[in-house]
Amino acid sequence: MDKKQSHTPLLQLKGISKSFGGVQALSDVSLDLIPGQVVALVGDNGAGKSTLVKIMSGVIRSDAGQYHFDGQQVHPTGPSMIAELGVQTVYQDLALCNNLDAVQNLFLGKEPTGPWWTGYRISRAEAENRSKSVLKRLRLDNISLTRNVGAMSGGQRQNIAIARSILWEPRVVLLDEPTAALSLSAARQVGSLVRELASHGHAVLVVSHDIHHFVLENTDRIEVLRLGRNAAQFDSSEVTGEQVVNAMVGGVEAVNMAG
Amino acid sequence: MTQTKMKTQNNPVPTVHRSMAERLSNELRFVPVAVGLILLFVFFSTQSDVFLSSRNLNNLLVQSTVTGIIALGLVFVLLVGEIDLSVAATSGVCAVLMAMLVVDSGLPVPLAICIAILAGMLIGAAAGRWITLIGVPSFVVTLGFGLMLNGLQLLLLPNTGRYNLLNTGVEKIAATYISGIAAWLLVLSVIAIFFYIRHTTHQTRIRVGLNTSWGSSVVLPVSVVAITLIVLLLFLEQLRGLPMPAILFLSLLGIMSYIAGETRFGLSLYAIGDNAEAASRAGINVNRVKIIAFSIAGGLAAFGGILSASRILGVSVSSGGGVGGGALLLESIAAAVIGGVSLFGGRGMVIGALFGALIIATVSNGLNLMGVANEARLIITGLLLVLAVSVDRIIDNFASSQ
Repeated sequence: MDKKQSHTPLLQLKGISKSFGGVQALSDVSLDLIPGQVVALVGDNGAGKSTLVKIMSGVIRSDAGQYHFDGQQVHPTGPSMIAELGVQTVYQDLALCNNLDAVQNLFLGKEPTGPWWTGYRISRAEAENRSKSVLKRLRLDNISLTRNVGAMSGGQRQNIAIARSILWEPRVVLLDEPTAALSLSAARQVGSLVRELASHGHAVLVVSHDIHHFVLENTDRIEVLRLGRNAAQFDSSEVTGEQVVNAMVGGVEAVNMAG
Repeated sequence: MTQTKMKTQNNPVPTVHRSMAERLSNELRFVPVAVGLILLFVFFSTQSDVFLSSRNLNNLLVQSTVTGIIALGLVFVLLVGEIDLSVAATSGVCAVLMAMLVVDSGLPVPLAICIAILAGMLIGAAAGRWITLIGVPSFVVTLGFGLMLNGLQLLLLPNTGRYNLLNTGVEKIAATYISGIAAWLLVLSVIAIFFYIRHTTHQTRIRVGLNTSWGSSVVLPVSVVAITLIVLLLFLEQLRGLPMPAILFLSLLGIMSYIAGETRFGLSLYAIGDNAEAASRAGINVNRVKIIAFSIAGGLAAFGGILSASRILGVSVSSGGGVGGGALLLESIAAAVIGGVSLFGGRGMVIGALFGALIIATVSNGLNLMGVANEARLIITGLLLVLAVSVDRIIDNFASSQ
């Protein structure tokens, strides 16, 4: 586990603006993601969180602003280009196939196979072995490899979706509302997985509404968006839930508390 | 804990125990229908002395092949969550095309057969392209395609409404039997190939240090297949040997099972059937896979039609079940569904087509021997269809409620 706490941002957004028709979804938003750090992106409904994640993952393009990756400015052309850079996104709907097991879901579309004359026969043993070691590394070895994911709990499904995103060694992982539909204990599991990702040197961004139980406990930094603008930035260990919520809704303590 | 130790024994996660319902709704999905088939066999053998005779079993097997082969192709379309109501019409029009090429144009039989199968694949691909391009439900598109193909079939037929295939060479396919040494070699080599596939899987799992058991992953499945095939051969050897249509059906079944169960293409069928959006995001070309599935269904339907033409020595207006597909279409869909393939996509096994087709043929054959009228046969087949789908649903509900 290399816990390189360098402070050079790996993914950096500067002055991002985006409007849909007449609605200004984002104006002049900046954000840094640093390897080994978990950043929470919080904000009220309509604050622009989802739009920002979609811009970061290349699904939509910003109207103005710069996207820097590893010190270089890039011009996102689509999700696959961003994925190739090493940025993986886990969306809220997880995109799992319920009739397939964990191994099949982890490797879907990228299965290791035999040569053409076998009809690209899937090397199940290889896939299963790699799945096993990835899940082990993430301390998720309570997940059955051979059970259909449709029969699993919400937390396990969320964790499989996250494990899939890091299977191909990305450098940045974006998680959109990973705990939205989860019980408290399942959210806790996801929280420890998020910490685990950061400890392996990934730069992690988590969109979450769950300030008290999830964000304060599992993230390093909190970035607050309000009405499409950077409203505040906090150090997670030096802030109370109330201060964060106030910043989200524009209350009295909406000040920049970050050092 | 050292690396090697972990690899060999100390697996901290014993595979989570999966309930029987869960296994029955997945890899053992064919078991209930296989049990049903055995029960039907027991029942009919107590009702009729000739039911278990070699001659009757031979008939039963041959009767099930055309429906079975068409159902086999349908499985691929059903797995991706679509349906093809034009398969019977495709089988009819392609059989007529083949007959026309042989009788009118004097093409050699193998070439005519290849052209007809290719035509079937093209018809399937065209339907698939249309469905994926416009986004119209396959139900409607293939219904329309079926009617168009029915019309085309009538156009292709001569004024007599019939091509006679006696003494053209086409009739030889259905009339060929393989017996003696050749039959034994065939059966043994099939068993050997199956053993090889299971064995290599087992070996690889040992090599990378995964759980596996020689008994349940190699010995059990290979002996079940071996005993079934050898008993079948011993039975049929008493008559004329293995009928060619059955050999062709079982070979296609083996190839298609391999494709659906072992290859990347096969897995993508299941993924699309459950969650096309997820499959697409995983980089699977959903439309392409669907088009290939439709073209497999079209090609196999054409092949079924050709076999049927070879058996009844000709093609006519009623080839392919007549206008609308008739009993052939309904029984092909019923065979796939009785065999455990879900109409909603993503669930089912290729071997279901065999069991489904055998059940339909067994009911028809057995009731015939008992002297039961045709009306009752339809009623019972219909009841079995409803029963089979209900059993699958109950098992699925059981599996997901745990």
